[in-house]
Amino acid sequence: MLNKIYNWIDERLDITPLWRDVADHEVPEHVNPAHHFSAFVYCFGGLTFFVVVIQILSGMFLAMYYVPDIERAWDSVYYLQNQVAYGQIVRGMHHWGASIVIVMMFLHTLRVFFQGAYKKPRELNWIVGVLIFFVMLALGLTGYLLPWDMKALNATKVTLDIVESTPLIGGMLKTLLSGDEYIVGAETLTRFFAIHVFFLPAALLGLIGLHFLMIRKQGISGPL
Amino acid sequence: MQRGKGMKFVGDSRVPANRKPNIPKDYSEYPGKTEAFYPDFLLKEWMVGAVFLIGFLCLVVVEPPPLERIADPTDTSYIPLPDWYFLFLYQLLKYSYASGPYNVIGALIIPGLAFTALLLAPFLDRGPERHPKKRPFAIGFMLLAVAGIFYLTWEAAAHHDWEASKQQGAIRETADIDKEDPAYQILEANGCLSCHGANLEGASGPPLVGTELSVEEIKDISVNGIGNMPADIFQGTEEELQRMAEFIKKIEK
Amino acid sequence: MSEEQKQQVTRRQFLTYTLMGVGGFMAASTVMPMLRMAFDPVLEAKAGGDFIATKIKVDELTDEPVRVDFQFEQEDGWYVSNVTQTAWVYKNENGEIIALSPVCKHLGCNVDWNSNDNYPNMFFCPCHKGLYEKDGTNVPGTPPRGPLDRYKYEVRDGVLYLSRRAEPTGGV
Repeated sequence: MLNKIYNWIDERLDITPLWRDVADHEVPEHVNPAHHFSAFVYCFGGLTFFVVVIQILSGMFLAMYYVPDIERAWDSVYYLQNQVAYGQIVRGMHHWGASIVIVMMFLHTLRVFFQGAYKKPRELNWIVGVLIFFVMLALGLTGYLLPWDMKALNATKVTLDIVESTPLIGGMLKTLLSGDEYIVGAETLTRFFAIHVFFLPAALLGLIGLHFLMIRKQGISGPL
Repeated sequence: MQRGKGMKFVGDSRVPANRKPNIPKDYSEYPGKTEAFYPDFLLKEWMVGAVFLIGFLCLVVVEPPPLERIADPTDTSYIPLPDWYFLFLYQLLKYSYASGPYNVIGALIIPGLAFTALLLAPFLDRGPERHPKKRPFAIGFMLLAVAGIFYLTWEAAAHHDWEASKQQGAIRETADIDKEDPAYQILEANGCLSCHGANLEGASGPPLVGTELSVEEIKDISVNGIGNMPADIFQGTEEELQRMAEFIKKIEK
Repeated sequence: MSEEQKQQVTRRQFLTYTLMGVGGFMAASTVMPMLRMAFDPVLEAKAGGDFIATKIKVDELTDEPVRVDFQFEQEDGWYVSNVTQTAWVYKNENGEIIALSPVCKHLGCNVDWNSNDNYPNMFFCPCHKGLYEKDGTNVPGTPPRGPLDRYKYEVRDGVLYLSRRAEPTGGV
């Protein structure tokens, strides 16, 4: 039955080569931890992606309970953490995942750097990777405000002050982010929410897609 | 792959009619110690992933995600702290050549240069050599940067009063307090509320709600002070002192 | 060796099965907590129906349905609000109290008693002309698919108490 469905689709769209190419590609010896234990350093990239998947899933489920409004945001977070079964676990996954993903990405970046894997012809992939790093940091920054507790509000005030210190366009930039010239409040929260939940994840998915495409196209860098 | 003349397609589409059979490459086709990605290598990756996941879930179960009390823009005594991975930037701004009139240096120029250099690393480190030993400058700068980030993060964490911020951020119990009670007015008159909060929920001073101290101890602290609280704040009569202490004692969570 | 031939599990198959197992473990342990959280409202034990006091004294009730509004505090997750429920209450010929929900069983409009001159002494729904008898039974041939829901009631000290939610009567 499944085979018939697969054949029906394959006849029309020729999907076999698409995934067989991925499935059958040769993985060289030097990245295989089964041959060299030190090859575990090649796992950091994959683990980063794994945590990103966890972040996206847990974020989607958290959004079922969260409201981006200064009067209710904290209550909704408190409710989902304390009243909803496994709410604490899911919020914990999102909270700790945000830290772990930074750690994993940091290690991955260092691995690529120290091995000189960004050299010709892989310059573009390095740039995309660093952009992913920036997007992740921005995700951490905007997500930090969303529970609307004391540390969220105050850390965001500091961030916005730093943004404001940009020469010439600082004031404008700050207002753009916070939604108001003076207040860090209702409009800031909705902006950060939109950036955290829609803008940055969209950018992230696009960049990750590019990152993987380029890896498939170029293959992994050879042994040192 | 066959192209051009003689090719057959599915209907009027561009999908070739002779299909590629869905058969995996034979293991003998993988040279040397190379491996098929699926299922051989993916299994190894997933086993690493599973071990990682177990560790991660243990962390999640053991350590509940922190949630401080609801943001209160009027409370200015709170010492802000960014998430740990921004601590090094935060710490950088404390140094004299990165703050005050030099704020732009600390806030923008140094991080800007560092991140731009990171972004453009392949164009700054252009030689053909890949081995770290043959790229002393690139490796040196990176080690310096990483050491700097670790040092700054460490400094920021070491100089932060974690106990104080835990107390400042703690979710406070709100109690029903009878503000018409004369004892409450005694508290007000002696300036207790400015540190302990209008609902005694705590502010710069600790909360007085649900205290486990005895009436005598409360009286003693009010007169003689404790910790950061100086002595002789209480200026009322002995009778007022007794009344106030009993009032505080009976405030339940 | 002969055993190997009997089982006929190739190396590739074995790896694939293990892969599915490990993958299943990873998928399950990440997604299960999330699904449990999403399903929490479904699995939550139904809050016991406590009764809410109305302003109606039982003695005042006649065989003519009257509109009774009653309020209670509703907890909706992190949002607490006062909601008003409405019931049409009367005593039937046996002296039993009937408290009907005004929500039409067709598409949820509010029915009204005796509001349409063409249908005296009936509950009439203005949206699609649904009709109900006095005891809530839907008139065949009109849109509603069942009789009006009923509130449970209690009488304490002569005052009428109604349940928070009306429940289907199930083919009265």
